[in-house]
Amino acid sequence: MSTLNPDTALIALIDRISLADEKALRELYELTSPKLYGVAVRVVTNREWAEDVLQEAFINIWRIAGDYKATLSPPMAWMALVVRSRGLDFLRRRASERADKMQELDDVISDTVAGDSPNPMDTAQASQQAKALHNCLSLLDNKQREVVSLAYMRDMSHNELAAQLKLPLGTVKTWIRRGLEQLRGCMAKLA
Amino acid sequence: MNLIQNPALIEQLAASYALGTLRGGARRRFEALARNHAEVRAQALIWQGRMASVAELQPQAAPSEVVWKRIENLVKTEQEAKAMQAARVAARPEPGGWWSSLNLWRGLSSMGVGVAAVALMAGVNLNSINARLGGEVEDLTARLSATPEIQYVAVLADDKAAASMLVTFDPKNNRLTLKRVGGFQEQADKSLQLWALPQAGAPRSLGVMGGDAVMRLTAARSDVNVPALAISLEPKGGVPAGNGPTGPVLFKGALIRTAL
Repeated sequence: MSTLNPDTALIALIDRISLADEKALRELYELTSPKLYGVAVRVVTNREWAEDVLQEAFINIWRIAGDYKATLSPPMAWMALVVRSRGLDFLRRRASERADKMQELDDVISDTVAGDSPNPMDTAQASQQAKALHNCLSLLDNKQREVVSLAYMRDMSHNELAAQLKLPLGTVKTWIRRGLEQLRGCMAKLA
Repeated sequence: MNLIQNPALIEQLAASYALGTLRGGARRRFEALARNHAEVRAQALIWQGRMASVAELQPQAAPSEVVWKRIENLVKTEQEAKAMQAARVAARPEPGGWWSSLNLWRGLSSMGVGVAAVALMAGVNLNSINARLGGEVEDLTARLSATPEIQYVAVLADDKAAASMLVTFDPKNNRLTLKRVGGFQEQADKSLQLWALPQAGAPRSLGVMGGDAVMRLTAARSDVNVPALAISLEPKGGVPAGNGPTGPVLFKGALIRTAL
């Protein structure tokens, strides 16, 4: 097994999981749960809920590991999307009680957007593709990057973002449009 | 404006589409365009892949240790349910085959162990786990009731929850059947005695087992209309009628009615 590419090890584990290898699931959990828990926290913004989401995501990965190969995605991207989907499902189920519990972490996000403080992107364990995107995202203003990241992670519309971040709708639309334009130009150079 | 001749605009739309901010009519028009034009479709897929990387770039955090425990328990429960299903399918074709299928019974009893293990855990998500297990018990009950002459089942287990004896009751024939499934074998000078444990009052003897793996006793419905059964270790031949158990209780378990 190659040690150069961490994807190789993850793919081998997902392969074994598709054959119902419980030990492989444990290894995968040990390798990826901090990253994937981070994804869950970002989507549902409540640590306890994020643990439920992480649990559901791993049960999901256990059941659908056989489908992974067909996606042609880097393994961490695939798993992160499973977590995001389970997180979004969770939010839909809990829509009614979500408002107050999400407050705490959303204040942190509002601060990031308002104060232009550095935003904590993390390339640990990320695929090559994600590292390329990270390089381009780093060129954006912190607030643009945060709004783009939030729009994707929580599947939020312009209106929802404006309400959430207490910003004018036009501002949100402009940030996202410019953010995507910059990303497009940057990614074109890398490709 | 001809969109197809404007690659920059197509790419911008593809990026908004993948981000999720392209909504409503604009999103539907873009999807229609992508279905008809391979280059639009390609851009949409490229940007979906790129946006997926946003998820990979989120900062790490440490989940509590209980999360893995919960995952492990759910996976084990699922595996056991599958084994049980496989055993049932394998056992169904022949008359008698169903009965002699140890795997079904082992699956049943180990599922019981799983329930206990999960219940012991200080699980945050206990309600959903209970709902799952409840579903499996219902499923199992439904399957058992599909075999018409068996109406009551008990899995008698020792204090470590290892299944040792299966008991079924066939009210049509007033027949109580005991089957050894664990490795337990009493000494030559001892006998195992089966007891009905009523809600109130003293245990009632249902019979004494010989050394065989399977034993059939005659019993009326009223005899087994109790919440639980137990097996005690008694002197050879068992305790004389009218007396309660004298030896240690080795195995016990709840009696489950499989058809109502």
